[in-house]
Amino acid sequence: MASILARMSLLALLCCGMHPAFGQRTITGTITDEAGDGVIGASVVVQGTATGVVSDFDGTYSIEANTGDVLEFAYLGYLSQTITVGDQSVINVALSPNVQELDQVVVIGYGTVKKSDLTGAVSTVTADDYKDQPVTRMEDALQGRAAGVTVARANGAPGANIKVRIRGVNSITGNNSPLVVVDGIQGADLSSINPNDIASIDVLKDASATAIYGIRGSNGVIMITTKKGRGKGQVDVEFFTAVSQVPDFLPTLQDDPATFARLENLRRINVGGNPNFTDSEISQLESNGGTNYQKEIFQTGVSNNLAISASGSEGKLSYFLSGTYRDQEGILITNTFKQLSLRSNLEAEISDRFTIGLNIFANRDVAKNDIGFAGNGQGSIVAKALTWDPTTPIYDASGAFNFRSIKGIASLNDNPVRTLTESDAQGINEQLSTALNASYKITNNLTYTLTAGTQLNNFNNQIYDVEVGDDFLPHTVFRNNKFQSYQISNILTWQKAFDVHNIKLTGVQEYTNATSITNGYNAFDLSLPKGFFFAELAPNAGQSAINNFSERELSSFMLRAEYIFDQDLLVTATGRYDGTSVFRSDNRWGFFPSVAVAYNLSSVVENSPTFNSLKLRAGWGQVGSQNVGPYSTFGGLGFNSFAFDFSSASAGSVLTSFENADLTWETTSQFNIGVDLGILEGRGSVSLDFFDKTTSDLLLAVPVPNTFGGGIINQNVGEVKNTGIDFSLGYTIVNTENFDWDANLNFSYVKNEVTKLYNDLEMIQGLYTSPGGQSRVLNTIELGQPLGQFQGAIFQGTWKTAEAAQAAEFGKNPGDVKYARDANGEIIFETIGNGTPTTVWGFNNSFSYKGFDVNLFLQGMHGFDVYNIQQAMITGGAGDSRSFLASDQVNQWTPQNETDIPATVQFYNSSRYVEKGDFIRLSNLTLGYNFGGLGERGPTLKAYASGQNLFLITDYTGYDPELSSRKGGQGNEDVAPGINIGAYPNPRVFTFGLRFGF
Amino acid sequence: MIQQFTKTRWASLLIITAVLVGFSCSEFDLDEDPGKSQLAVLPYESIAELDLAVTGMYNRMWAALRMTTAFVSAWGGDDLTTHRASNKADFREYDQRAVTLGNARTRNTWRGVYQAIRAANTVLVNVQGVDLPDRATQDKLTGEAYFIRGMLFHHMARIHGRIALPLDIVPNPDITLASQEEVYRQIESDYLAAEGLLPTTSNTGATRPNAGTARAFLARLYMDWAGFPVKDNSKYSMAASSAKQVIDNAGSHGFALVPDMNTLYTLAGSANSEGVFTIAHCQPCGLGNRKTGKLGLPGDFGGWQESFAEIRFFEDMPEGHRKDATYHREIPLDAHGRVTPNVAGAASFIPWTEFKDQQNPVFKKITGPFEDNIFNGFQNSRSDYYMRYAEVLLTYAEASGRAGAETGDAWEALNMVRRRANGLPAGEASSEVDVTSGDLAEMAYTERKWELAGEYQRWYDLVRLERVKEALSNRSPQVSIGTVFDADGNATPTPLTEASNPILGSLETDNYFHPLPPDEVTQLPGLGGG
Repeated sequence: MASILARMSLLALLCCGMHPAFGQRTITGTITDEAGDGVIGASVVVQGTATGVVSDFDGTYSIEANTGDVLEFAYLGYLSQTITVGDQSVINVALSPNVQELDQVVVIGYGTVKKSDLTGAVSTVTADDYKDQPVTRMEDALQGRAAGVTVARANGAPGANIKVRIRGVNSITGNNSPLVVVDGIQGADLSSINPNDIASIDVLKDASATAIYGIRGSNGVIMITTKKGRGKGQVDVEFFTAVSQVPDFLPTLQDDPATFARLENLRRINVGGNPNFTDSEISQLESNGGTNYQKEIFQTGVSNNLAISASGSEGKLSYFLSGTYRDQEGILITNTFKQLSLRSNLEAEISDRFTIGLNIFANRDVAKNDIGFAGNGQGSIVAKALTWDPTTPIYDASGAFNFRSIKGIASLNDNPVRTLTESDAQGINEQLSTALNASYKITNNLTYTLTAGTQLNNFNNQIYDVEVGDDFLPHTVFRNNKFQSYQISNILTWQKAFDVHNIKLTGVQEYTNATSITNGYNAFDLSLPKGFFFAELAPNAGQSAINNFSERELSSFMLRAEYIFDQDLLVTATGRYDGTSVFRSDNRWGFFPSVAVAYNLSSVVENSPTFNSLKLRAGWGQVGSQNVGPYSTFGGLGFNSFAFDFSSASAGSVLTSFENADLTWETTSQFNIGVDLGILEGRGSVSLDFFDKTTSDLLLAVPVPNTFGGGIINQNVGEVKNTGIDFSLGYTIVNTENFDWDANLNFSYVKNEVTKLYNDLEMIQGLYTSPGGQSRVLNTIELGQPLGQFQGAIFQGTWKTAEAAQAAEFGKNPGDVKYARDANGEIIFETIGNGTPTTVWGFNNSFSYKGFDVNLFLQGMHGFDVYNIQQAMITGGAGDSRSFLASDQVNQWTPQNETDIPATVQFYNSSRYVEKGDFIRLSNLTLGYNFGGLGERGPTLKAYASGQNLFLITDYTGYDPELSSRKGGQGNEDVAPGINIGAYPNPRVFTFGLRFGF
Repeated sequence: MIQQFTKTRWASLLIITAVLVGFSCSEFDLDEDPGKSQLAVLPYESIAELDLAVTGMYNRMWAALRMTTAFVSAWGGDDLTTHRASNKADFREYDQRAVTLGNARTRNTWRGVYQAIRAANTVLVNVQGVDLPDRATQDKLTGEAYFIRGMLFHHMARIHGRIALPLDIVPNPDITLASQEEVYRQIESDYLAAEGLLPTTSNTGATRPNAGTARAFLARLYMDWAGFPVKDNSKYSMAASSAKQVIDNAGSHGFALVPDMNTLYTLAGSANSEGVFTIAHCQPCGLGNRKTGKLGLPGDFGGWQESFAEIRFFEDMPEGHRKDATYHREIPLDAHGRVTPNVAGAASFIPWTEFKDQQNPVFKKITGPFEDNIFNGFQNSRSDYYMRYAEVLLTYAEASGRAGAETGDAWEALNMVRRRANGLPAGEASSEVDVTSGDLAEMAYTERKWELAGEYQRWYDLVRLERVKEALSNRSPQVSIGTVFDADGNATPTPLTEASNPILGSLETDNYFHPLPPDEVTQLPGLGGG
């Protein structure tokens, strides 16, 4: 790594005295970089001596040396060169950048290791891997590029949360998001990190790798290293414009309002009612059309992205400065996302023993009218638009919005165009993160490092909402979530080599503290529709305040030993001892051990024509999870209110949580074996890992039976197993002077299984209920099955005329929906699908031909179902979508044509709406052209055009099977994946960009 | 190398160690202090703490009872029906007497009501053995908790018969289903404890119960106890004496019939003397009433088509002041064809027999008078009478009759309700409407039918007197003429001959009470005994 190189070269220069010897003469020359510019501050050392100088402003140097001496030229970030003096008196050197540098070193937490010495299962993604794709999110950089990492974009809104999981999901209640460590500071939020700032991402997957993070390691760890400056000052500017649109609109009867009206009449008549539309109204709809609300709420979004960075080093100070401004329009009308982020990474070598660096990251982003604000128990705003009455125009004759369906049909909700146009819901995120790294070399073997960091995060929700109910008096809601955390890590590293033995010991003492403060108010029923800053217009009864405080602490000790025998046998053992404040003192401290062994068998394949390296790895370890909220072991009271006088509320308290003083961490034990293979002199590489992971003593929110008031008690019960394979293959398929083709394939398979529940239960009901008044539970946790089970009735089409008598026993008529029933005639509700994917892959190809380059990135997910409740709502005839709107409803059952499409009300929660989710996506296609240098010393320029999400191969009928959506308070998202109640579509994006380098 | 390890370096190592240990000292105290932001569940040390918990209990009671969900079993009555299709399956199942185990309203009622019972238990457990300085207030608040718990057990017993009786906040996995007598005895004991602790009077409308409220609920309990399934006829006299006690002290409890029945179901009339126990609602407080308003209107007019009036019941109800206060026969429309609160200036009126989707009369008690403008909202601030004083009067009359103690006071109680129903002053004898002979019990029973129509009460009368079959076998409309519209919107008057939703299930006593939600029995096998 850069800092190690720098330290070594400076050591060579400065540690030693100057003792010129006899027979010497002066050698001079110029050291230049790849652009031919002089390099300032490069070191020139006479190998094996203490003699050394540093190049000056023009890159020139002058050194005394003998004929037989070997000069070593070194500069941070460049490949060192050695040149024998011979009879030369002028030696000019052109240094070339060390592009391999990052590949060779893997960040493993509290230190680094050479990739060849790695013992654990770690996937690495570097900036190089995604340089040909315009990436605005870290998650996009990870998706399909790291075996074992599942990235699911649940929502196509700019700035939306993206789910990242490493090797399956462990917890039924707790969060399964991996720990993110940025430059040594734990607990960062992946979504706000600027991908332009990232040098490398190392994903620690197996327990032998994550055990150093002990009680925070069970979901895997993503180590992010931000860029450092090196070499001559370099300025990069990149600008791109992206155009986003809905890939494909869903077919609904909004496309054909006359048919909609005819079916609506039939729907009424079939149950003994009267037609709602007269023939003349229908013929008017036929000639004039109606309003397609699906098309009305979407738009083509235009986004601009500007990124500037400057990096380099001046003497002993290196810098990386960057800023990015993003102005994105969503494909949903009025939805925008704006972000400004700045980073300053500085590192100074104060002396040969002392290096100090400070990284500062500031970010502000504002998301407006994201899909979340207008969703409620009746589905998202997208679901509402898809089910809205196409016969009611957006505006009435006077030009004012029609608030509701004129005929009281289809969706019972407000006009979605009005909701989006007149509401203003902003999520404002302000964030400041710092990371201080100071390293002091006490002896040549012993180094002390202090890593200290803070995170300040203010998240404000300021919502002005006009979709509030029947009085149409707007609501405002304000929440400030203030999160502050700090971490102090003291790290001692001791390293020594004896003959064939190489030992490294790392000891860590660490403390982290995080506090969270929430303040806010609600002001309901504003008397004038003026906007967010008019909360005073709410009546006193409509004003309420909320606040909360919580704090969590973690105190830790860690010791790691790395031992290398004769370059070939590698052993790593770690132990971490963590104490967390969220458990009581008797159950607070946990010990998390791990051990890993690797053996380099390169000698075995030494003479192979195909393989050039081979390494076997095996590891075992235990890690924990403390993913319960602060104060979870205590019972407590929450607040509510009641208005005894019909007009003003008094505060009340009510028991909301139960005490469980015995609560302790959840433990994940994982065994991993892997093999790394180098092919054809490093032209290709293969990595294959098998893992077996068991999470026991789950921190489970065990439901309290409703008879005792419901709610949950946190208990350590249950067990989940994940077993699987991670595979990655990289190969340079073509490597000629003009044409290169690099390909990378990543593949992961995970089998997830709930192996233990509690109280002999075979099934626990989930918390995800269907929208629109039906409120049936859609998901379950089932013993012996993977998490993410769907529950519902088994759809059997319609009752036919021939079955009229049998149907009548259940109060059904021919044309009504038919579901499987048990012996007692009760409709069976059972498992009808599962939303957890088993297989995820990515296939990345880079081609370059002369100045052109092409990137083609395919990815896929397989082995999962989608519970397409959105389609159930479109089908309608139930809940809050009263009318039939599915385009296949034109073929509904009639006495003459007895199809299996029911003509009357039906359940949302049935197998009719479970679909296969498997898909293959062209994630990215980029064509770029490098113009090279513009003029002699002018800037370099690259222009590119790219498309994301250009095609999707799937049998799924909704927008995109990767999407899912949820309301609040419905439990863990990994227990209810793949349920769609109106997700924001994943846009198709066309991007045009320019990149300048100075 | 050792030589290089100079004194300075030792010194720096020492400093580092000191810093390290220095940080550490503050770091090993990892004990949480939840008290900084959250109240603990502990015995009360002040009236303010007790008062908070009691208010919190009312909130849970409100949350459990604010919607028609908690009253879904009342659709079994012959006064109420619902839309024949749409998403009203849960209500329809009760209406048609074919309730499935998966009925979400049954489950949600169980969840909501028992959550409120836990809130009451939280108060009762944490006030145990506590002696606060303001004893009178402590007693009043404790009495309220007993009352609410008893009332909620009673609510559940009326739906399920035998129920669980948790009296503690700690879940007991071995809890068993109480016998019917145990259930009634527990409710009685809670009402009696409440009566002993509550003051004589509370507030207008009794959104907080008083001693009279508790006694009135004892009367209701004894009526149920005397009927199906326990049929302990001795309880009729207790019902009569309890109701009589409330009537005799009505003045001091603040109970009286309001002069005009129309004012009962209005926003302005929310707090009134007729409330024996009223659930208070406040929409702008986020505490709105979802049992009234648009759910009573048909879909033609933007309604939720949930609580419709049965046609036959409507036909049978005697004309007059009370019927006009109970039903809307027509909907006022403005010039754009939308329902208007400006009834006086309405451009047209659509009679219920000309509704396009489903033709049923509309409960005015539910949608309110159109002038109140709550018909278009799914929540509002109108009060909800959990018990009205008229019921106490009728209970007294019926119980007296069934106990064979037909006193003049009992006839007078019945006559007060009859007079008001005819728009006459309740307290002034009227030769036109007063009755003094005949089967008092049956006359009072019939009077309840009309008086409490659409108030989600009728079903429980049918159950206790085992008259479900009798009432529900006789629902076909006799005289109403509906309308059939053709594709051009032309109307053809057509007689209505069938009830909106046919009976599918059994009308026998084995189908009176509903099985517990299956989830509960799975989690607590002891509840499977029913």
